[in-house]
Amino acid sequence: MRFVDEFRDPELGRALAGEILSLVEAGRHYKVMEVCGGHTHSIYKYGIDDLLPENVELVHGPGCPVCVIPMGRVDDGIALAKIPGAIFTCFGDMMRVPGSNGSLLDAKAEGADVRMVYSPLDALRIAKKNPDRQVIFFALGFETTAPSTALTLRRARAEGVSNFSCMCNHVTIVPPLRALLDSPDLRLDGFVGPGHVSTVVGARPFEFIPADYGKPVVISGFEPLDILQSVSMILRQLAEGRSEVENQYSRVVPYEGNVTALKVMAEVFELRPHFEWRGLGFISQSALALSEAYADLDAERRFGVPGVRVADPKACQCGEVLKGVIKPWECKVFGTACTPERPIGTCMVSPEGACAAYYSYGRYATEREVV
Amino acid sequence: MTDCHGEIGCITCGDVAVEMTVLTVDDLQRLAMCAAADGTEETVEVELVGAVAPGDELLVHAGTALQRLSTA
Repeated sequence: MRFVDEFRDPELGRALAGEILSLVEAGRHYKVMEVCGGHTHSIYKYGIDDLLPENVELVHGPGCPVCVIPMGRVDDGIALAKIPGAIFTCFGDMMRVPGSNGSLLDAKAEGADVRMVYSPLDALRIAKKNPDRQVIFFALGFETTAPSTALTLRRARAEGVSNFSCMCNHVTIVPPLRALLDSPDLRLDGFVGPGHVSTVVGARPFEFIPADYGKPVVISGFEPLDILQSVSMILRQLAEGRSEVENQYSRVVPYEGNVTALKVMAEVFELRPHFEWRGLGFISQSALALSEAYADLDAERRFGVPGVRVADPKACQCGEVLKGVIKPWECKVFGTACTPERPIGTCMVSPEGACAAYYSYGRYATEREVV
Repeated sequence: MTDCHGEIGCITCGDVAVEMTVLTVDDLQRLAMCAAADGTEETVEVELVGAVAPGDELLVHAGTALQRLSTA
């Protein structure tokens, strides 16, 4: 398959691993954060960290939207799902995220009409087929998903679908990165930048990382060779004393992003003054709400939500995992009380969550023999 | 419930997108029927990538084409 097979070549992988080895300084420990959950998933799936020298550590970042959703927002979604006669639609992973009193899947089992969709457009179709019922779409994701929601809301407006509304939970990638860089918990040497978020926002929004913090960023694809090459490019920048934004994924990501998508998003959304991120707390201007022009399609305004902040379960250490302070297996409940089948924390829900990815592919890595 | 834990993880909720080929185009609606490598077909919003034609390859996320990968 094009764009896939050539990026999984084992020979080229070994060559890149050798190049990486030649770039590291003995005695120095390198911490490189992959921002995106898709990268985390690939790293565990293909055992990429096993190909790196011992002193190059990949730290998993907050780029899984399911993982960073706070419990209070899940509770708000469940409250909307329980409105009599409503149809509540969301992406599959979101259904299993625990709120303070069960998940959306539990609400479905109790009788709420909760349906999984693959796109916001599917949710709009359900609304058109059920004109007598209120259909709510739980919008979630980074700038990769937000354009899709924006286009669907524009379509709902154009087609006059008045029984459709959206609970907006879209988040933006730059503010949490700044929060992580300002966090005293973590010393990072560079970032593997998000590939598909960058197809929308481009590379420019990441320029503050080298400019203000002196750290390299390499926007990366998702295949094993993409990630290895990106790590190599970061280490080369460090070895040469450079820090800049480089684009390893130029076959897909234009430097300026998708300007049409950004325009549509600017029309439909506005920045929230602040938004709570699991593990990172409240971050200003880090999430999107519907703009005044689309206020009538905002489920929160149409129906009202409890909006109660809920503390994370004490046993769960998702916060530390999301900040890269601990590894998934260092959490006290990892793989015992918290599993993908019965998750306690969000990082165990989505396959892009560090805990679920590690549980599925990497949990034996600590026992694997290095060859 | 259908699970979305496929070969490439969750296609809808994270920073993962899939390569799809355009089969037919509804220019009026700005929609295209597209097929993924595994044969899965999906209606895709093409508003963000300009004019498309059958055979074009697109990067699709949550039912929306984000970038054009190649032109037929």
